[in-house]
Amino acid sequence: MNLHLVGQMVRLRYKLMWAKTRSRNGKIALFVVGYLLLVLIMILLSAGGLGAAVLAVKSGQAEKVAQAVLGALYVQALFGTVMLGFGMNAVFADVELRRYPLTGWERRLTRHFIGIVDPFWFLILALELGLAFGLCALGDFNPVQVLAAILLLFVSNYILARVISLMIERLASRKSGSALLMVAVMILAFLPGTLMPFLAKNKANMAALLRVLRWTPPFGAAAAMTHSGAPALAGLGLVAAWLLGLAAVLVYLETLPPRTQAVQTTTLKWDSPFDELGAFFGPQNGPLMAFWLRFYARNNRFRALYGLSLPLVSFLTFNFRYGFAKRSAPIDHIDPNGLFLAALGAIFTVSFFGTSRFAVNQYGYGGGAFRRFFLLPTDPAASMRAGSYASMLVGSSLIPVAMVLWLIFGGPFDARKVIMLLGSAITGLFALHAAGLWVTLYGPRKGSYTAAMGNDMSLMGNLVVIFGMLGALFTPQVLSKVLPAAVSPDNWWLIAFPAAAALAFYVISLRATGTLFSGKREELLAVVEGRVK
Amino acid sequence: MNPQADAIRVTNLAKKYGQTLAVENLSLNVRAGAMFGFLGPNGSGKSTTIGCLTGLLDPTAGQVEILGQPFTSESAGLKRRMGVMPETLGLFDPLYAHEFLAFVGRMFGLDEAVVRKRVGELLAALELTDSSKTLAEYSTGMRKRVAFAAAVIHSPEVLFLDEPFESIDPAGVALMKQWLRRFTEQGRTVFITSHVLETVERLCTEVAIVTKPGKLVWHGDITVLANDGAIQFDGKEFRALEPLFLHLTGERYTDLNWL
Repeated sequence: MNLHLVGQMVRLRYKLMWAKTRSRNGKIALFVVGYLLLVLIMILLSAGGLGAAVLAVKSGQAEKVAQAVLGALYVQALFGTVMLGFGMNAVFADVELRRYPLTGWERRLTRHFIGIVDPFWFLILALELGLAFGLCALGDFNPVQVLAAILLLFVSNYILARVISLMIERLASRKSGSALLMVAVMILAFLPGTLMPFLAKNKANMAALLRVLRWTPPFGAAAAMTHSGAPALAGLGLVAAWLLGLAAVLVYLETLPPRTQAVQTTTLKWDSPFDELGAFFGPQNGPLMAFWLRFYARNNRFRALYGLSLPLVSFLTFNFRYGFAKRSAPIDHIDPNGLFLAALGAIFTVSFFGTSRFAVNQYGYGGGAFRRFFLLPTDPAASMRAGSYASMLVGSSLIPVAMVLWLIFGGPFDARKVIMLLGSAITGLFALHAAGLWVTLYGPRKGSYTAAMGNDMSLMGNLVVIFGMLGALFTPQVLSKVLPAAVSPDNWWLIAFPAAAALAFYVISLRATGTLFSGKREELLAVVEGRVK
Repeated sequence: MNPQADAIRVTNLAKKYGQTLAVENLSLNVRAGAMFGFLGPNGSGKSTTIGCLTGLLDPTAGQVEILGQPFTSESAGLKRRMGVMPETLGLFDPLYAHEFLAFVGRMFGLDEAVVRKRVGELLAALELTDSSKTLAEYSTGMRKRVAFAAAVIHSPEVLFLDEPFESIDPAGVALMKQWLRRFTEQGRTVFITSHVLETVERLCTEVAIVTKPGKLVWHGDITVLANDGAIQFDGKEFRALEPLFLHLTGERYTDLNWL
């Protein structure tokens, strides 16, 4: 094993990360990351792993608390990596590593070692170690066992995230895959909410579920940490078995040949729906629109995120239905107003999530192709406008579907609520795409068009996407407390104001960024061609 | 266009990137119908100059005239009469070759029937008939051919080609040269940058040589070389372009013992 060279590659990864901080964007990112780390350390100490450990020891139910904490962290790490793309940047592809004298296994080890030493995974490990430290410091638990269980669980979590990502990537690369993916995520998103009332009614069902969960890595790790002797060994064995099984699946998926290429053909297909749709935007914008529509339709990441949009919105609606209120209501009782408030926030992002990566970084995925827009006999900013229109066109196609879902699952029909939801969706459509125009100009970043996973947005892009989503979710909840009339169906017409403001923001942004576009092109070119980070 | 008039006129062109000077006070004229070679060592500002001449970059100072009219990055009317093959090719990777060429043709205002006819003909002539691959799946040489096709699809009057022959096989280069010669015979102008001096010598009628930072050091007619003649410069006689180029840009010999 050429550990020296593997170590050199890991060093190079951190050198590259450090190099990014030399740019202005990088310095801002470094500052924000530092700040977030500080906050997270505080959370870790107060309510994170350590706090959980105190609770576990004091309550005398160490195993149950460990199961809950480790299970939640395990699922949250998967959510953060698979949905938001944190901790999944490959840095080096296998092809790139082939340049160096490394064997196949060494290349695999290098790639995954580089992957797992990502700051995101460090945070997950820190939280888990907080629990481990707390258990060992306050309780009578074996530190070696606790540490071994945590480390095995941590590695299995990373490998599972990789396996899921690869599966999504392979699914998204097929036309029918996106639909399958959507169905799978829908089931996963609704399963807990559907199961909970069923489980709450019958304790026997809950016990049965717990018996099944005992075979999962977090429960195995919890057993290994809080028991001794045979149960601890069984727990460790269970996590190790999962780890080995997942590693085998990962190796299998990585060695699968890429999707079969299309059969060679010399027939040119002319009558494309993209061109027909583009033609509605006139002879100047039509070809640009058709280009952007193809750009989205052929992108695996878009297909995956577009497929995830509705499940995500549904999931958020369902899980935010209590708002800030304590979950004292019966678990199978859904407050129609709570559900409405949650939907009002969640639907704000439905038209944006699918294209968000591109809407905030329109040129980051085309590299040198950006030059082409300046060689065309048209206003270069027309390409940015067309890109934004195409993103809105594609994204807004989900609004009617979301509305139909509301009509089916949203309780008794109330036209005022429907109008308010529609208004919220339209507000999100314009406001987030307007923000996307600004980020395209002022926060570009070179990304990979072919990568289906990973978060390659700039800091500004992340702020718009993540805070846009969080802000949308919390705004109706906050308003319902401080200004209930603003979100009351009685005042349904009020939604016209944010919608109109968002439209105005979009129109102004379109014009302003169009004017600024030519002046920013050299900076943009340097970033998207990878000459400046 | 009057064949004697200048198709491209550059006056005191300068381009700075921050404090770095990329092109210094460059002035040159290219007559209509010329096959013009623009040469210089790596980093001498050739691509930056082409960027300024085609609207990709804004010059820091100086004027550019194309086909007798002042040219800026906003000159959409003039751009319609120009064809450009940029250094990085500027291809949209998710598209198929015919989709990309059709996109360019439509943007340059060609009728749909003309677009389809020319796309088919260009793809057949450049042997790019496999329509099952997107541009991302093409080899470097095939991508160059597509970029070349995109530069000529609208029959421009002035053609800018940045390193057009690199990575293309000899048959492809021969075909492109044949097209370019016919192109200039019709009074249209070709502006080429290349490091393949033999090709430039055989193809071009005029050459300009620049050194860092984009400073013109020689500009003249090289047709004399094709007739076994010689170029007189600095009291010396040059019978090929390469010795002249090396004389102007400086030969460098470094002895690496271990190599």
